[in-house]
Amino acid sequence: MDKLSKEEVLHVADLARIYVSDEEIENYKIELKQLLSDVEKIKDVKGYDDEILISPTDSFLTPREDVEKDTVEFNDIKKNIPNTFGNFVEVPVMINE
Amino acid sequence: MTEYKKTIGIEVHCELKTNTKMFSTSLNGYQTIANKNICAIDLGYPGTLPIVNKYAVELALKAAILLNCKINRTMHFDRKNYFYPDLPKGYQITQARTPIGVNGYVEIEIDGKTKKIGIHDIHIEEDTAKSIHKEDKSYLDFNRAGVPLIEIVTEPDMKSSSEAMAYLEKLKEILYYADISDCKMEEGSMRCDVNVSISKTEKLGVRTETKNIGSISSVGLAINEEAKRQEEVLENGGSIKEETRRYSELENKTILMRVKETGNDYRYFPEADIPYLTLTEEYIEKVKNDIPIMPNERRKIYKKHEISEINIEKIIQDKTISDYLLNFDDINLKIASNLLLGDIKAYLNKENKKLSDTKLTIEKFKTVVNKLDKGEIPNKVFKDILANLLETEKTFDEIVKDNNIETISDTKALLEIVNNILNNNEPSIIEYKNGHDRILKFLMGQIMKETKGSANPSLVNKILLEEISKR
Repeated sequence: MDKLSKEEVLHVADLARIYVSDEEIENYKIELKQLLSDVEKIKDVKGYDDEILISPTDSFLTPREDVEKDTVEFNDIKKNIPNTFGNFVEVPVMINE
Repeated sequence: MTEYKKTIGIEVHCELKTNTKMFSTSLNGYQTIANKNICAIDLGYPGTLPIVNKYAVELALKAAILLNCKINRTMHFDRKNYFYPDLPKGYQITQARTPIGVNGYVEIEIDGKTKKIGIHDIHIEEDTAKSIHKEDKSYLDFNRAGVPLIEIVTEPDMKSSSEAMAYLEKLKEILYYADISDCKMEEGSMRCDVNVSISKTEKLGVRTETKNIGSISSVGLAINEEAKRQEEVLENGGSIKEETRRYSELENKTILMRVKETGNDYRYFPEADIPYLTLTEEYIEKVKNDIPIMPNERRKIYKKHEISEINIEKIIQDKTISDYLLNFDDINLKIASNLLLGDIKAYLNKENKKLSDTKLTIEKFKTVVNKLDKGEIPNKVFKDILANLLETEKTFDEIVKDNNIETISDTKALLEIVNNILNNNEPSIIEYKNGHDRILKFLMGQIMKETKGSANPSLVNKILLEEISKR
C-alpha cells in the first residue's frame, strides 16, 4: 500500500481536531503514508545494548576552566520575578509536612 | 525471640571545592547575601546552555579514585525531572546511567577489624536553590543553584549505627584531606540521606529514607530511632512503606515527609545539551599523581616516629598541623607534634590565630625541635620564647640573645647543684638503685627547680647519672 485510505486520513484529522477538505484528503493520503514509513524506521534501532545517542553531533565535550564571569545582578532580573522579599525570590510555600 | 537486624545504606551529597559552579561561570559561594552569585544558567532561563566545569570533573574523579571506584572513561549527563520552585528549569542535571565511578569501597575500622563498605556509585550533579520556608511563603536563594556536587551512594553494607558513623567519618576524612570538599555538615556542604530497613530473615525489609541529617552523631541517633519505629510498626501488625522521612534532633525521632518517588517518577533521560565527556588514561593518571598523602599513610609515618595513638588522631583531626608536619623528614616528629599540639596550639587558640598567620618558619621550628631533641635547651626556654618565635621574624639564636636567656652549661656549677640535691635526697638514690627508674625524673625536676629551668637538660642528665653511680 503506497497511500492511506480516506477513512484513515479522516481518523487522523479527527484525532488532531482539524477539518480537511476532499482535496486535502487526497494529498494527505500520500504525505501521511510517507511520514509513517519514516517512523517505521525506529523499529530498525537495535535496542538498549547499543551506545545511546545523547547528542545530534559526534563531537566530544570541551569543558571550561574554573573561572568566574557572566554573573548577573539581582536588580536586573527582578522585573522577571513577580514577588521578591529583600534579595530573596518569594514563592508560595510548597512543603507538604 | 529472633531479633531484627538493621541494614543501612547511605547517600552523601558533597559540595565540590571549586571556584565556580558546575555548569555556569558564576561563583560557587552561597555564604553571602542572597542571589548574589547567579547567572542566566543558574536561573534556568530559556536558551541557555550548560558548560561543564573542568575542575569539578577533576575533583569528582579524584573522589572516585580515592573511593577505589571503576572509572567510566566515557560519560554523559542525564536530566532528572521534577517540579519545584528551587529548580526553575524543571530538571536537575545529574548522571544516572554513566556515573563517573562505580563499584568502589571504603575501608572502616570497627571493633578492631577492617570492614569494606561498598560504593555503588559516585556521580556528578548540580545543587538546587536554597529554600527558606516561613508561614505560607518560601524564599529562594539561587546562590546555591548549580553548585557542583558529588553524590556517593553506598551498597546496603552497614549493619549498625556505629558502622554508619565510622563510614561517614572515614569518607569525610578522605574528601577533606584530598581538598575535594569542605565537608562542613553544619553549613550543608556535606549532607546525608540514610536508608534503613530491618528484618529477622536474610530477605531485606522495606526501607525508608531519612533525609538531610545535620551531623554524624545525628545519623547514628536517626538510624536507631528509625529502626525502633519500624520494629514497633511491625510488632503491632503493620507494614513499612517506602517513604521519605526527616530526623528531628529536638524530638529525637524521624518524621514522615512524603511517599517516595521512584526513578520512573523522575523520567530520567539523557541531557542532550552536553556532549559525551571522555577521560583519557593520561588524564586519570595525572589526577591520581596529584593526590596528596592521605590520612592512613600519614598515620603510618607518625607511628614509625613513635607518636602515641591519641596524638596521631589529634594530628589527623587538625589538617593544618598534619600538613605542616609534612615539611619535615629529618627531625624528631614526636617532639615536633608535642609542641604543635601542646603549647603552640594553646597559644594559637588563645590569640585566635592560625599557624599560617604566624612567623614560625620551617627553619626556626626545625632549630627548636633539634635543640629540644639534643637536650640543649630545657622546655622552659621554649615556653619563654614561644610568643617571640611565633610573632617575630627573628631567628632562634637572636631571640635567645635578645631575651638574655641563658642555659647553664657550666659543668662545675651544675655538679655542685646536683650533689646538693642528691645529698638532700638520699632515700631517692636507694630507690633508684632498687630499680625505680622514675626517681630520676623526680631528681631532674628538683635540679630544674633549683636552676629555675635554665640548666642544660642533657648535661644535667649526664652528671646526675655519673654522681649517682659514685654513691
